[in-house]
Amino acid sequence: MDQTAQQRRAEILAKKAKLEELRRQRELRRESAANRQSGIHSPTPLAQPTPRREDTKRELENLIEKIVGDSRPGSTVPGSPAGGARASRPTSVISAGQLSGNSGENESPPTPKPTTTYVDTAIQTLSITPLTTVYEFPAEPKNEEVIMYSKGVQTSDTWSPSRKRGSTGSDSERDESPTRTPVASKRLSRRQLQRDEEIRSMLRKEIEEEIKAASQTNLEGGAVGGSNKENFPARTLTNEELNAVQSSDEFLNFVERSTKVLERALDQQYDILADYALGGAEVDEEDEGYGSGQGKKGRRIKEVAQFWDERWSKKRMISDVGFSTKFPELVLASYTKNPSAPHDPDGLVQVWNLHMHDRPEYIFHAQSDILTAKFSPFHPNLIIGGAYSGQVLLWDTRAKSAPVQKTPLTGSGHTHPVYSLDIVGTQNANNIISCSTDGVVCGWTVDMLSQPQEFLELSSPPPAKTEDMAPTCIAFPQSDPTYFLAGTEEGSIYPCHRYDRAGAKAGVDKRVKYTGHAAPVMSLDFHPAKGQIDLGDLVISSSVDWSVKLWKVRPPAATGTSTAAADASSQLVTPLLDIAREDLVYDARWSPVKPSVFALVDGAGSLEIWDINVDVEVPVQKISPSNEKRGAFGGGMGGLDYMKSSLNKVAWEKNEGRKVVVGGMDGVVTVFEFAIRLIGMCTLY
Amino acid sequence: MTQHASDETLALLTRLSQKPGVQSTLILSRETGAIVRTSGLVSSSSDANPNSTLPPSADNTVDGYTNGRKESGIHSAEDVARMVWSFLTAAGSLVEELDSEDEVKLLRLRTKKNELVIVPDPKFILVVVHDTPPA
Repeated sequence: MDQTAQQRRAEILAKKAKLEELRRQRELRRESAANRQSGIHSPTPLAQPTPRREDTKRELENLIEKIVGDSRPGSTVPGSPAGGARASRPTSVISAGQLSGNSGENESPPTPKPTTTYVDTAIQTLSITPLTTVYEFPAEPKNEEVIMYSKGVQTSDTWSPSRKRGSTGSDSERDESPTRTPVASKRLSRRQLQRDEEIRSMLRKEIEEEIKAASQTNLEGGAVGGSNKENFPARTLTNEELNAVQSSDEFLNFVERSTKVLERALDQQYDILADYALGGAEVDEEDEGYGSGQGKKGRRIKEVAQFWDERWSKKRMISDVGFSTKFPELVLASYTKNPSAPHDPDGLVQVWNLHMHDRPEYIFHAQSDILTAKFSPFHPNLIIGGAYSGQVLLWDTRAKSAPVQKTPLTGSGHTHPVYSLDIVGTQNANNIISCSTDGVVCGWTVDMLSQPQEFLELSSPPPAKTEDMAPTCIAFPQSDPTYFLAGTEEGSIYPCHRYDRAGAKAGVDKRVKYTGHAAPVMSLDFHPAKGQIDLGDLVISSSVDWSVKLWKVRPPAATGTSTAAADASSQLVTPLLDIAREDLVYDARWSPVKPSVFALVDGAGSLEIWDINVDVEVPVQKISPSNEKRGAFGGGMGGLDYMKSSLNKVAWEKNEGRKVVVGGMDGVVTVFEFAIRLIGMCTLY
Repeated sequence: MTQHASDETLALLTRLSQKPGVQSTLILSRETGAIVRTSGLVSSSSDANPNSTLPPSADNTVDGYTNGRKESGIHSAEDVARMVWSFLTAAGSLVEELDSEDEVKLLRLRTKKNELVIVPDPKFILVVVHDTPPA
């Protein structure tokens, strides 16, 4: 201890000597400055360089030491009057230095001399300015830096493990020695000083950078700094800007897209946060509702959604409905024209989403009433439609509402309304086959609708009074795309070939005729040939003669052999089953999953589910769309009110076979869902 | 034609804002956070605010959609805009850090009282505040 004390004293002495020297130099400089001021220029350049070099060196040292010296007093500056135990020593030094300049050093032995010396040198560097500023100048930066450094030191104390030993040691020493000035602590503080120095310089750099960055962002304006409250809305947009933004395509597209997303989000019924423990009562109620429904009806059928759009569905009739094969939640509906809106496009196809109840996902237009439309089974984006004008149209969900392709209105295609069309073939080779009421059947490739690939004119075979034939619907068996049935307005159903074959020319096969209906045939549907037993030769037809008939269709090859003997007169085939209904039957479709089930819709507005394995006299299920959305229709049909509820079309969801969509005169699309028990599973095959 | 189209899209917005349960809608610019359109919000507590930002909200009040529930925790459009914007920025940086090639597509923020659905787009942000179904 004594040794160190002596060393210390020696150092102090040495420093004092240095100080003296410095003071002398200062005097010299002051003189030189005075000389300069008085107008003698020659001595200054000589005198200045020497002190400058020393100055710069010292300046560096002092700067560092200043930082070191300042920091500690800084932490205690506010607390020093109260006798802040930690750093009372350095504070006193500084205050002495500050207050009493030269005289103070002598009275305080433990003072780290450097602090005082550098105060002087600092003055020297700035000695050009009058001396009066001396005391103020060092004080100011000190005060500023004081705050930052004290923070830096404290944090490093708390978290940095490497410095823990030293800092705690010094802390404890400071704690026990508030009055005396221990020499050991000097040594410690020496080491510490160096470390602290580094920290502080780093800190200072960081802080400077921060300040710079902050000032820059401030300069750039608050638009970027979203967190800043005053800066937040950079400015409210002016009217012109708003108009510009709101009429920009980007904005319109954005609104289109984002509102769709939002409506889907809002229409999502299921609450994933549902707490079944809390809502126990409600769940019970719902269960009971289900149960009682089952008790009453025996089988479950539920209306899932109704689609109606005030703007577009109004005063239009639904001419066709269908499910997308790729996206089972998409439902298509085609509409006839709205007679009271001559400026709207006549033809309309709306694609509805089961998850978005109030608004169609897509709207497609045409210049003429759309009489039939369906999703292409081979391409999820394509929709084909047949128009009253005889056009076949192709829309793409990736494009705008206008058709991407349409057939011309010239004589090469259809010139009469197209009530029926289909896409046949395979994924890689498929054709659109369309049929118009003048008996023309055309085949088109999806890529080119400008000209038909095939052109076939159907004509009634001899026994008929006239050659003209007016097919209302066509249907292809799943197994053979070269052969189809055509239902006509007079009620007969004819088998037709697309191409010439052995024993039969292309066109109506004159040898077979399916008779039974007494009025126009409204629909024909081949049984979906799924499963082990091929039921693909079973056809149901519906007619406005208030009946549905089940037919067994002879495969074309068989007819070829059988007619070899009796070819003159055509063979009349009668239905396997005749189901009389209580109203016009507009459409009948097989279930895609349960072989014995089909659905029909009638002019009274009911959807009937038939299971011919269960009963051939009464439907297993009968339901009508609710009137929820129909209020919007508002009786615009005048005198035809009784027809308002009539349903025109029915379609099954093909993948699961649990949903059915119906649509009719009132323009409302309704989707029903069945319980599995009613409809059956694919596994039943 | 463009006028017509913009009318129609604005009708979409109006319809959205009138859906049952929807309290307010808000369209912001993605870059600056400037308010392009609002409805159902007490609009601006601050000064200059062009009226053209708020026709849907006006419609709304006319249609009587400002029923009781409004008074509760509804703030001015600027406040909501600012909060949503900073929330979105935070979410964006989260996603950015998880996967730098990813981006935020939809934010649904469910609270005890209601739900915020935020649809961010490269240029705009659509925000809808709506009541959650009573559960």
